[in-house]
Amino acid sequence: MKCEMCHEADAATVIRKSVADEMQEFFVCQDCADKEVHRETPHVSPPIPSLGETNGGAGVPLMGMVLDAAFEIVGRSLNLKEPACPVCGILRDEYRKRSRLGCPACYEAFSKELDTAIVDLHRATQHTGKTPEKARAAWHRQQLASALEDAVKGQRYEEAIALRDQLSILNGSETAKGGSPQ
Amino acid sequence: MRMTPDVDAPSKRTRSVPTGDIAMSCRVRLARNLEDERFPDWATERDRDRVFAKVRSALAAEKTGLTLKPVTSFAEQHLNMLRESHLISKDLLERAAGGGIAYAEKSPVCVMVNEEDHLRIQGFSDGLDMRSAWRRADALDTLLERHLNYAWSPRLGYLTACPSNVGTGLRAGTMLHLLGLRLLGEIEAVVRGLERMRLLVRGIGGEGSEAAGQIYQISNMDTLGVDEEAIVLRVMRISEEVVRQEYNARVRLIQESPLVLVDCLARSLCVLQNARLLSTVEALEFLSAMRLGASLGLFTRLKVQEVDKLILLMQPGHMQIGMDAALMSDERDEMRAGLLSRKLANVKLKC
Repeated sequence: MKCEMCHEADAATVIRKSVADEMQEFFVCQDCADKEVHRETPHVSPPIPSLGETNGGAGVPLMGMVLDAAFEIVGRSLNLKEPACPVCGILRDEYRKRSRLGCPACYEAFSKELDTAIVDLHRATQHTGKTPEKARAAWHRQQLASALEDAVKGQRYEEAIALRDQLSILNGSETAKGGSPQ
Repeated sequence: MRMTPDVDAPSKRTRSVPTGDIAMSCRVRLARNLEDERFPDWATERDRDRVFAKVRSALAAEKTGLTLKPVTSFAEQHLNMLRESHLISKDLLERAAGGGIAYAEKSPVCVMVNEEDHLRIQGFSDGLDMRSAWRRADALDTLLERHLNYAWSPRLGYLTACPSNVGTGLRAGTMLHLLGLRLLGEIEAVVRGLERMRLLVRGIGGEGSEAAGQIYQISNMDTLGVDEEAIVLRVMRISEEVVRQEYNARVRLIQESPLVLVDCLARSLCVLQNARLLSTVEALEFLSAMRLGASLGLFTRLKVQEVDKLILLMQPGHMQIGMDAALMSDERDEMRAGLLSRKLANVKLKC
């Protein structure tokens, strides 16, 4: 998941801040989290989360919020043995309690146990049926790119050239179609 | 007054049972989610708003005739009315924030946004015409797919918030009126048989609801490993078989237990014509009997379509829209009894 502030780096933490009198959560990278703390409280050092630390800065509301977030992060980090989805961050325990996954990437993150559950539920392991054209093309492109990388690493250059050409054709046909409207 | 029905009369006067009366309607629902977005249960309000905006743009870009509106923009009575018409789910109303409804009057399709999944695309049809319901949902899905990047994997198909929907994301359901089987005490065996065939059997209100009025929803359990056409065909074929069983039950009721049948119809008519207070569930039970009687041609001046209309009109949301006022539960019970008593005042049992 990308940082909701810079939209470039991967989100690594969560902060809470008030926007138009409403408390909101932002999933941000460490740099943006640090900047946010410095921007709001220029004379206060960024918090170093620790379980024994108390919020002495009662006059600095943001600090409390950042600490809350930090405690949450620490809490999560204590549970690191529990598998978590790298994209949405939910833990196995969490999705089990609610019987709902966090995001599409959870299917990969929790695949070991989910695959068993899916066989129990559907008595099948392979999708048959409708395929969204764009998703199929994206998947095909990803497969080709991965195979190309392997071929280059393995110095199988003829195979790599053939894969590169296939990728170019695929990308060309996508461009001709006008690409994704989204 | 003592009623002495002519127990032989039903078999003489009954016309053949149209199977369309037993199969009330059908629906095909497709669960879809957008890639790179959290599923609604774990999404922040901002995430849900972003999904809402994407779906609204996609709907606006195609000539679907549907406009997406936030759940919060509808009056409570209107939402209840949509729920009672089976266009939207209770789940959507409970998740209100970021939720949306795209529908148009008399349109055979509807989309719920930010329910359990980002999109729930639904196609509807009458009776057991499930192929039409599927074609409608499929066509709308294909249009939306041009503008939305669906979460999909070659192995698991459409990725859904709950693994029970993964694969096609398709739930094909029929709504059947099975009072004949109930009166003969055979409904439990039929339900058990359906469950053994891996079909879900639910009440009129969907998941977790009782089959009030002996109206059942039958739908597929498996969504992975079988393609859409095969799922639709299977649910349709099995539903046709259940309709045949209900038809046979009605024939046997008339031939073998006419007194049971006539007693049930007479009691129901009597209550509906004379009660002063009626709850929704109570009214539905009696209207269910009226529906059976109308289907068998045993009432004067009463058609099945009229009973179906009453089943809708007497529900809380429809009543409040009709009265243009928010009513308390006991006020609704009184008004419901009055409404049904007026509408059925001239109806008589033929036997």
